[in-house]
Amino acid sequence: MDDFLIGVLTNIGIISFVALSAYMLLLSGEVSFGQQAYFAMGAYAAGMVTAMLGWHLVPALLAGALVGAAAATAVGSATLRLSGFYFAMATLAFAEMTRIAFELFAFRIDVGGTPVGPNGTDGFGDIRYLFENGITPLQYLMFVYALLGLVLTGFFVLERTRFGRALRQAGADPLLAELQGLSVVRIRLLAAAAAGALAGLGGGLYVHLLTYIEPASFNIMLGVHSLAYGLIGGLGTALGPVLGVLIDIGVLESSRLFAGYRMIVFGGLVALLLIVRPRGLLDERAVHWITSHLKRSMYAAGRSGLDGSLRRR
Amino acid sequence: MLEVTDIATAYGKIEALKGVSLSAGKGRITCLLGPNGAGKTTLMMTIAGILKPRRGSVRLDGEEIAGLPSARIVSRGLALVPENRLVFPQMSVKENLEAGAFQRARDPAIAEDIERMYQRFPRLKDRRDQLAGTLSGGEQQMLAVARALMSRPRILLMDEPSLGLAPMVVEEVFRIVGDLNRDGVTILLVEQNAHLALKVAHHFYLMEQGRVTFSGEPGKLAEDEVVQRAYLGTRRASA
Amino acid sequence: MIDLIQNTLDGAMVGSSYALLALGFTLIFGTMRRLNLAYGPTIMAGAYLGTYASLRFGIGALPVAIVVVVGAALVGLYVERLCFRPFGDSAAIASMVSSFAVWMQIEEAATLLLPRHLNAFPALVAGPPFTLGPFLFRPEHLLMLAVATAAAGLVYWALHHTRFGLGVRTVIDHRRAAEIVGVPVERVLMLAFILASAIGGVAGFLIAATDHQITPMFGMWATTKGLIAMMLGGLGSVPGAIAGGLALGIIEAHMQWAFGPQVRDLIAWGVLFAVLALWPGGLMGSRRLADAAAVQRRL
Repeated sequence: MDDFLIGVLTNIGIISFVALSAYMLLLSGEVSFGQQAYFAMGAYAAGMVTAMLGWHLVPALLAGALVGAAAATAVGSATLRLSGFYFAMATLAFAEMTRIAFELFAFRIDVGGTPVGPNGTDGFGDIRYLFENGITPLQYLMFVYALLGLVLTGFFVLERTRFGRALRQAGADPLLAELQGLSVVRIRLLAAAAAGALAGLGGGLYVHLLTYIEPASFNIMLGVHSLAYGLIGGLGTALGPVLGVLIDIGVLESSRLFAGYRMIVFGGLVALLLIVRPRGLLDERAVHWITSHLKRSMYAAGRSGLDGSLRRR
Repeated sequence: MLEVTDIATAYGKIEALKGVSLSAGKGRITCLLGPNGAGKTTLMMTIAGILKPRRGSVRLDGEEIAGLPSARIVSRGLALVPENRLVFPQMSVKENLEAGAFQRARDPAIAEDIERMYQRFPRLKDRRDQLAGTLSGGEQQMLAVARALMSRPRILLMDEPSLGLAPMVVEEVFRIVGDLNRDGVTILLVEQNAHLALKVAHHFYLMEQGRVTFSGEPGKLAEDEVVQRAYLGTRRASA
Repeated sequence: MIDLIQNTLDGAMVGSSYALLALGFTLIFGTMRRLNLAYGPTIMAGAYLGTYASLRFGIGALPVAIVVVVGAALVGLYVERLCFRPFGDSAAIASMVSSFAVWMQIEEAATLLLPRHLNAFPALVAGPPFTLGPFLFRPEHLLMLAVATAAAGLVYWALHHTRFGLGVRTVIDHRRAAEIVGVPVERVLMLAFILASAIGGVAGFLIAATDHQITPMFGMWATTKGLIAMMLGGLGSVPGAIAGGLALGIIEAHMQWAFGPQVRDLIAWGVLFAVLALWPGGLMGSRRLADAAAVQRRL
């Protein structure tokens, strides 16, 4: 597997974290244009832990996730009572404030003779943890996907718990949910915290892959993109946002097709797709269709098994 | 004047109207009674063009209007006083009336008609610059009726005009219904208040679960049976 | 003290363009209850067409203005047909993401049309700044204020003294009731969208003509300014849009003078965030608009 492909795949895996972050909030019924703020905070925090404190990658990633969760909770407490568009604007405002704050934030310490640390618009470089510890691109790729796999499993399990159902209900019909005794604001706050953690974790992974980050990367584009991934890939399953990332980054970055016209073509296709599938490719109906077909074929396979008569399901 | 034939309307997969047929005679008051959820409002919205029927026909003086956009149906002479009034809350009484005449474009008679509405509904005149959202329930009901009349309709559809109003106000509303009819307006009236409705109706229909289950004149069916079926629906024998 | 007044004046003049941007956003949001993320790029498309016309055919400022406004209106029609009309009253998020996809399209198309990052835009007036008493005035700013005021006045007149304006106001106030009284809602929405895009075109022309340049960043810039100004004034409120635009311009002028451009932007977003957290209705808008949207969606 050549390095370019490894790089693209790792990128897809990492950006999936932000996409899943926006997706989580969307499930709970809130549109956020600002998950890139927690992605940025996670990146800076994790980078500072390995490059300035000299610690191991795992506590760095934990720090990133915690910072993301904490910030998201704080912002959420101030804004989650806002509905729809107001909330979306508040998330955008906060994300832009974060980005500009990082442009103004400089804090460097001496590490082995050179100054290391965030340096405003000049960014934060020399995050060489992977290189210094001999972690190959392939190993990191597997690590990223192992984490992503854990997260996706978490989503899968979540969908089957009471909280997962409450989450979707808060998103689909908050008025009804309140009438049924659910505290929509509390559900959304929990979702926001989890989403912040996801984005922060993704940021931590991101900064170590790139070894250099700058505030400009964490802009509105990233925010709206993370929302768009879920809409394109589908809102019926956590695999949807990942599919959206795969389509966008994977197909676009690596194909030489339509060079120079890529966005025009891709943008048009997305707009057309949304007309026929307003909730994405893997929307709730598609997922239902797929799972019921899977169940049917598994059932049929089970029945035709030798000990089929002994099985109850 | 209004012939509804085999109208079926659905919300997604849910069939709210399963083939409804009725007719409203010219110059008469036709009432539509029935329990909640029978589909009466859905039928009114379908006739008015807000909802599109899956099949069936609606003829106004012989012209087919089913499937037409609501704006066209208003210009053909059908106006709806919707359930819950639905006045324009941030617009004044006068502007609400002007909005009612929207399809009449730049007709110079609009101003005259507004004056006529003020005469028929003096309380609206008192409040003509007031925001409609601040009016009382009864005043909003009158505004909704006046607004619908501004389009000079051939037939007026009224959906539960007594909903949420105090008894004295309800009486006034029904008095207005009677007055309008005496002035020659054809009315199709949906009502929960079967007792009052039967007092003014020339003809009535009973709707239950998306279908018309009875058609007749007041007095043909014993009133208490009508009331029972209107509020509670027919008791179905369990299969 | 003099600086205070000077900054306020400067801010109000720049703010008049922001007010137009916000006005366009508000017209679309008020009628459709949707955020058009392609709004800024739509204006940029018009501005780029105008720039292209000026570079290719050497036409003067006024014909360029016409190209910009008409161009923006046409691109706006494209956005409305593709991103908003097909979704009707549902799928708000899908239409927003669709408008974002078109944003991407327009940005790329713009850079294909004019590959250079910086492009010269014809100036509206050529003249040195002059002083009136202790205050400095730039003619282009004064013209911006004059034209923006005229445009806003025209929109106000249209909304309150034309049949089209009555239709727009009924749709903004209560869409279902508008349908019932016979307002052709879909046609009104389309025309309001085109008008909003045209207003944006006017704003875009004024800003580009004052800066004497246009870059591909303009789309995002116009979107953020318009959004902040609209939210400050209150979602969906026409007078609010104007108030919000002026307020934003004035705040920015003072902040830039005191702290420089980065802090200026930080505070602009900070003010918006604070307003949202504390007074979600904005300066003049109403909370019920957003609530009503939530209830309407449910129905």
